[in-house]
Amino acid sequence: MTVVETLLVFLVAPLAVYLLLWALTYLPGGRRRQGVRYRPGQAWDHEPVWYEPQPTGAPTHAAGEGDTQAVGSSLYGEPAAIGSGDGHGGAHGGGHGGGHGSSAVGSHVIAGSASGASHGATAVSAGAPAPAAGGPLGGARGTW
Amino acid sequence: MTRVLDADAHDTGTVDTAPNRADEGYDNVFSYRELARLDEALTMSSRETGLRFTLWIGDLGPKTRIRAEELHARGGHPADSVLLAVSPGQRVIEVVTGASAARRLPDRACALAVLSMTNSFAAGDLVGGIVNGLRQLSDQAGHPRSSRAAH
Repeated sequence: MTVVETLLVFLVAPLAVYLLLWALTYLPGGRRRQGVRYRPGQAWDHEPVWYEPQPTGAPTHAAGEGDTQAVGSSLYGEPAAIGSGDGHGGAHGGGHGGGHGSSAVGSHVIAGSASGASHGATAVSAGAPAPAAGGPLGGARGTW
Repeated sequence: MTRVLDADAHDTGTVDTAPNRADEGYDNVFSYRELARLDEALTMSSRETGLRFTLWIGDLGPKTRIRAEELHARGGHPADSVLLAVSPGQRVIEVVTGASAARRLPDRACALAVLSMTNSFAAGDLVGGIVNGLRQLSDQAGHPRSSRAAH
């Protein structure tokens, strides 16, 4: 084994392995992250979203029967009353906030912007109904 | 991996019909995987407990509690529903429980869930905090006989 061979095997080859792993780890162009990386303290200027659970009777793709009303490419089947004007389209108008009732909610996002963030709280409190007198509300509050 | 479908928005919605799904745009706040986690957490905790958990993520204005209670009143079935209102910009989370939901979810349990959620939020993990908080809340609310018979 000459000196050159020794250097190649014991110095250059390990260095090459290290460099390869470093490049795979740190160079950009790898897996790109979808969505927003949230860091505490950053501003949040996205549209407000409101997620609700899937309705219990929702037809799924495994349902077969009654699965034909699917509009668009949804993971979940659509209720039949999608075109009634009270459902999916209505969820976009901030005017009638009752649009996200119980009848026709196909996707689980029910209000993209119930009130634009620019409207502020006053416009909302003017349009929203007073809290129902069903008893005291409970809950908790936290900050971070 | 899946990527957001590239589609130009053109107005296909009429008075009677909803716009095409592709025209609405996708919110790109969360990735699909995160959306799926949120969806599963909301749906399963709601089915498990019989309560209705909804999640609001967005600005809550200067009076966060009042705004959250308004939102809670506007959603369907306010008495049975539990609203998690997260405002990442203001670093505030409000949990609002309706009158009958509050009997099964006392404020102390909500505060405990909020504490664990704010821990995750402070570390930058919005979705993980929400999923864990929902798990805690639904564990606390239990599994009543009425919703047990449903499945």
